[in-house]
This record gives sequence, C-alpha cells and structure tokens, in this order.
Amino acid sequence: MNSYQYLIDYLNNSPLIIELVWSISSVFFIILITLIIYLKYLRGSLRKKERLTAAYEKEYESNLINYLYSGNEVDEISLEQQAIIDQFNEDSKDPFKRKILISVLVKLKNEISGDIADSVQKLYFQTELVHYALSRLSHKKWYVIAKGIRELKKFHVKEAYKEVLIHINHPRREVRKEMQLYMVDLFYFEGLDFLNLLETQLSEWDQIQLLGILQKLENQDIPNIKSWLNSSNDSVIIFALKLAKTYNQFEAKDEITILLNHSTKKIRLETIDVLSYLNVLEAKEILKADIENRSHEEQIAFFKMMENLYESKDESFLVKYVHNEIFEIKVSALKIIKALNKDKFNNLIAESSDSQFLRIANFVEKN
Amino acid sequence: MGDYAIYITLEIFQYLFILYSVAAIASYLVLSVVSAIETIEYKRKNSYVNYKEIMSSNNSPTISIIAPAYNESLNIVENVRSLLSNHYVNYDVIIVNDGSKDDSLEKLIEVYHLVEVDYLINEQIPTKPLRKGIYKSTNPAFEKLIIVDKENGGKADALNMGLNISNSEYVACIDVDCLLLEDSLQKMVKPFLEVTDRKVIAAGGVIRISNSCIVKEGKLHDVNFPKKLLEQGQILEYIRAFLLGRMAWSRLNGLLVISGAFGLFDKKIAIKVGGYDKDTVGEDMELVVRMRGYMEEQKRTYKVAYIPDPLCWTEAPDSYKIFISQRNRWTRGTIETLKKHRKIGFNPKYNVLGLISYPYWFFFERLAPIVEFVGIIYFAVLIATNKIRWDYAFGFIILAYLFTVIFSLIAIITEELTYHQYKKKGTGIHLITIAFLEPFVNHPFVLYAAIRGNIDYYFNKKKKWGEMTRKGMKKA
Repeated sequence: MNSYQYLIDYLNNSPLIIELVWSISSVFFIILITLIIYLKYLRGSLRKKERLTAAYEKEYESNLINYLYSGNEVDEISLEQQAIIDQFNEDSKDPFKRKILISVLVKLKNEISGDIADSVQKLYFQTELVHYALSRLSHKKWYVIAKGIRELKKFHVKEAYKEVLIHINHPRREVRKEMQLYMVDLFYFEGLDFLNLLETQLSEWDQIQLLGILQKLENQDIPNIKSWLNSSNDSVIIFALKLAKTYNQFEAKDEITILLNHSTKKIRLETIDVLSYLNVLEAKEILKADIENRSHEEQIAFFKMMENLYESKDESFLVKYVHNEIFEIKVSALKIIKALNKDKFNNLIAESSDSQFLRIANFVEKN
Repeated sequence: MGDYAIYITLEIFQYLFILYSVAAIASYLVLSVVSAIETIEYKRKNSYVNYKEIMSSNNSPTISIIAPAYNESLNIVENVRSLLSNHYVNYDVIIVNDGSKDDSLEKLIEVYHLVEVDYLINEQIPTKPLRKGIYKSTNPAFEKLIIVDKENGGKADALNMGLNISNSEYVACIDVDCLLLEDSLQKMVKPFLEVTDRKVIAAGGVIRISNSCIVKEGKLHDVNFPKKLLEQGQILEYIRAFLLGRMAWSRLNGLLVISGAFGLFDKKIAIKVGGYDKDTVGEDMELVVRMRGYMEEQKRTYKVAYIPDPLCWTEAPDSYKIFISQRNRWTRGTIETLKKHRKIGFNPKYNVLGLISYPYWFFFERLAPIVEFVGIIYFAVLIATNKIRWDYAFGFIILAYLFTVIFSLIAIITEELTYHQYKKKGTGIHLITIAFLEPFVNHPFVLYAAIRGNIDYYFNKKKKWGEMTRKGMKKA
C-alpha cells in the first residue's frame, strides 16, 4: 500500500510530461503483454487450422472417392451416395468446412475428366454448394463477388450467365477479370461478346489470360473481329489486334490498316506488328510514305516489318537509313540491304569510317 | 549568464529530441496503419490469381534476369541453376562476370557447355569493355543463359552492361546469390500488366533471409530460423522494413527504394534515364529516385509497385564485421542519393516524391543515426555535469524500448497473418525473444555503422563497396 501511495505521490509531484511518459509506458506494457499472448494464440491457432484442414481434406477426399464408386445401375443415387451428399450438405453450412470441401472438389475436378468429372460436377449441384456461390454474386463486398464468379467458372455453371454479366463494368478490376474469364472459359469465342459492352480498360494481364484460354480450344469458329477493331475502347482494339494475329485474320486487313492512323500510339504499334505478321504489303507502302512523321517506336516497328516484306524497289529508300541515329533501324536497314544487294552492302562498309556503323555491319555480315 | 546559456541550450536540445521522437513514433504508427490496409487489400486481390496461365503463355512479355557476379566461384554454378529453374516462359538469364579474378567463368563454361558467340550490343549506356566476350550454351537445356565476361567496373557497371545486352521489355536486376522462387517473375510482372491508368516503371519484392534454410537443387526446401542472434535480429529487421515500411510506402506510391537484391524495371525507362549510376554505392535507391524524378518531370502518371510475397531469399551477414560494412555502405548510398537529388526534396513540382517521400527519408533515415548519436552525447554531457534526473531518464528509456518491442511484435503478427514462413514449433518464442533483444544485439551496431558511414562519406571518399564473404546456403 505504501509503495502504491509512493508511486501516486511521485507522479502527482512530477511535471506533466513525466506523468505522461509513465502513463503511456503503462499502456504500452499492457499492449505488449496482450500482443505476446495474441501471438502465441495466433501461432497455435494457425497450426491447429492447418491440422484441421489436412484432416478434413483427407476425410472429404475419401468420401468423394466412395461417392464416385458407390453408384449402382438401378438408382440414380444410391443410398450410400445419398448419405455422403447429406453429410456434405451438413458440413457446407460451416464456411470453414465449405471452403475445404470446395477446394477438394476443384482439385479432383482438375485432375480427372470424362464421366467422373461429370459426377463431381453433379455432386456440386446435389450438395447445393452452387447456391452459396450464386448468393455471393449479389454481395456488397467485391472480393466475395469475385470468388463467387470464380467458383461458378470452375464448376461450369453456365446458368449464372446473366447474373455474372451484370458485373461487366464493376468498379473493381478483379471482379471484371473474373467475369471475363467466366465468359470465355464457359462460352468460348461467344463469350467474347462482353467486349461490345465493356466500358473499362482490358488490361494486358487480362488479355493474356483470355488468349491463354482461347488458345487451348480446338475447332472453334472464330468470330468476326471487325466490330471490335472499330471499338471506342482502345483496349478492345488492342485485344482484337492480338486475336487477328493469333488467328491469322487476313480478311480483316482493311480494317486493321485503317488503324495505322489511330490516335493512340500503342494501337498504331500493335497494328504495324500485326500487319507485318500478316504480310500486308499495302501497309508497308502507307508507312513508307510518312515514316519520318511517326514516333521512334513506330519507325523501329516499321523497319522490323520491312525485314519481312522488303522488295528490290526498297533499296534506295533503305540506303537513306543505314546511318540513322536509331540503332535498331540501322541494323534492320543493313540486314535488308545485305539480303537485297550484297555488292551495295560491301560498298557501304568500304565507304564508311564510322566505328559504330562498321561494328554493326561486320556483325550483320557474319550473321 | 554562462550557466543560463548552457541551461537554455540543454532545454532546447531536450525539446528538439522530444519533438523528433514524437514525430518518428507518429510516422511509424501511420505507416503501420497504412501498411495494414494495403496488406489486406493485396491479400484479397491476389488470393485467387492463377499465375500458371501467365507463365505458360507465349503472349507474356519478355524478361531478362540480370545478375552481376564478382568472384562468386564458390556458388556460381548452383546460383545459375537456381535462376534457370524459374517457371516463367519468356525470360533469359544474363550473368555479367564483372572481371572476376577467380575461376567463375571457367566453371560456368565447363558445367553449362558454353561457347563464345558473336553478339551485337546496343551500347546505350557506356560501360567497361568486354574482356573475353559473350557466351551461350550449346546445350538446348540452357538456351536461356547468356554469360558476359567484361572488365571490372563495379556492380552498377555490370548491371548497365546487362541492360545493354538485354532484348527484353523488362529487366529483373538481382544479386547472383539470391534464390528466386519459381513463380517470382510472374508475380513481379503482374503490376506492369494489370495497371491501366498509369505506367508502372518498377516493382520491388520482399527480400527474405536464407541463413539456415535448406536448399535442394537450387530451390528453397526448408525454412529454418537461424541460431545466431545477429541473423535473427536481421530477420526481424527485414520483416519490419518490408512488411510494414515498404508496404505502406507502396500504398502511398512513395517507394524510394527497390532492393538491389531483386527488382523488376521497365527497361526502356531505365535506359532513358541513363541506367545505374557508377559513382554511388547505393545504385539501387539512386536509380529508383532518378526514374521517379524523370516521370515527374515528364508529368506522366506512374507507379512503383511492391510485391510483399516472399519471392527472393538471400544470405545475410553472419558476422558483425560484415554486417557493419554492409550498413556502412547503405548509409553512404542514402547520403549520396539524397544529396544528388536534393532538388527533388521539399519541391512541390515532384508531388508525393518531393513533399512526402524525400522529406521522410531525409529526416527519419538520413538524420536518424545522427540525431541518435547527438542524443547519446547529450545524455553523456548531462551525466558528466550531474544534471541528469535518473527517474525521468529511466521513464523515457522504458517508453522508447516498449514502443520498439511493440512495433516489432506487430511486424511479427503481420508476418504470421500473411505469409507465416516460420512455421516450426518453438520459433514463436525465438521471434518474441529477438523482439526484446534486437535493440541490444543489432541496433548499436547499426548505429555505429551509420556513424562510420557518415564519417567515411565526408572524410574517406575512396571507400567503395565493403567485403561480403559468402558461405553459401545449406544444401539438403
């Protein structure tokens, strides 16, 4: 009691700042003890969660195998299967168990195909897990919606088309991305119709993912990309150009050529690349006419195009560029001249004393 | 009158120290809150991203990993194998042998079946010339590997050579002894590809300490917590710096540093600003500041991204001598960079960079060791002149100590809630213990190194990189 009284008297007689220092220190001390206890609890609970997850995964995997192999030819669902469905239904009421159950189903679905994959899909509906995923689509938190769409995509729930499409211009790009992947993964090229309604930008990351899915498909009809090439959304145009290149859309060359004069540099660059890939000679002439007025990147892309599309009549044009200040242009011009007229190429070397030029020319000569 | 002047001076100092301490603590608290917001957001955004689709796509952009090597013969073969094991599709590995005096090149030639090739270099940044030349492997399994043997010019010069050699859109500049996780490149390149409203110019990753970890066939096999207090203290420092500090600066788009151990850059912009500066020992920080300054001057909207996933593991100093040498260099690098770019500081033209990042770095990184050192001298003067009130001093010391430990514990909890890398039973108690001990086993040496760094900067201009002896990671 005396010590306590001494402490109180000490603080009362101290300046305000010292009172404050000791008071804050006391609060800090309590916080510190709390944090240590919490940290111990947290590590323990994380370990427990890992153990539980592993145990449930094992149990669900085992139940799932039983489900897949306990069917009979008489009933649509055998008694044993019904018992497993009931068990899963019960467990799916608990979000923790539901999450594990879904991950087990997804894992199995990714590993198998054919009738067994269809059975897993069927089970997803029988256990009513689909309702949880559908209910997520109208949630107010973006990450819940995104996860819902992702799950519906994984289990090929095509019936949610309209509810998913609503999120086409969702303010969060993560939701938009999941919506786009859902459309393309489930409806293939038809799913790309969302491009007609897209108001936001389709990132390069999204484009790579969409192309990745589409490139896995075989024997699919490629849609008409012309309307996307005229889109008011720059990213849709760029994506359409990538489609044109990937699927050799030569019939769209006129629409693509018009894009050489698009106001966005990135589109013009992508256009040069695609036209070069499609070997559109007319594009070369258009670019040749006004190459000096274009950006350095476009000039470099054009000379790369020339490496594909050069003709003997281009020689005098190319000679003007062998001493261009841009390294890549010099290299391209020299490569083409070497291919067109070796004597001219040798003369250029003989006439020059520029060490950088000679270094490039010697490299081109040897390779 | 004389006594009165001394009294007033001491009083002024006292209040300046209190003001500085309060500002520093407040800034740490603000950064912690901002970091928590950013961490939650990051985890939500990336918890269900499928990186496999990107890494297997031929449409993904090209990346060059540039790794300078100087006398790394001991581990070079293993390190290169690790770099070649990345799962990304469109990448190559450029090892720049920066005039090594050991047999690094010979070992690489033998193991990777290298032959000299004719290679046209676009010399956009001046560097020291090639020594023996450029090598590529005759074995298709190592087709992604390019070895450049050049005259010694330092780390920055070697990185610049790599920038000249690279034909990729992006360059990942790393320390050759770093162990990259297999999905590191796709995670690092993601912000460059997904941000549509501004240009991402660089991305930095978290650096984790690999001491005592087990490496198997160039891959991280088992994460262990080291036994030495110095190494444990550095793990805590890194967790605090990367999970609390840089995460918050990323949210504010105010990152000034991308660790030289692992960073991804837009190659065009890195070259446009002239590449790495050869005249500083803090070339990693200097390049980021210069790139940011350039973007601000061009009035272009941009971002320096940050990836908190543990993608890169590196060996930390395990002796105080090397530790002090490393921190000495970091201090000199900071001073050089801030001095070189002083026009940015407090300049509204540079927005967040000029008004928040630079001033913060100046006051709480550049000046912190000096303020602390002056504080110690002030304390000594008070003791010597018998003007100390021990009960008051004790109160302040306890307060500072408790805050430091709390801040470390918050960092550890953040680590547990996010990446939970140190899972083994018993590590928790080690983490808590080191939170209490770190102010004694690491901090005094950090302070000493920083003061030495200041002295070396002003009075020993010839001092460049310190020595870093590699032991190599534990192999399974």
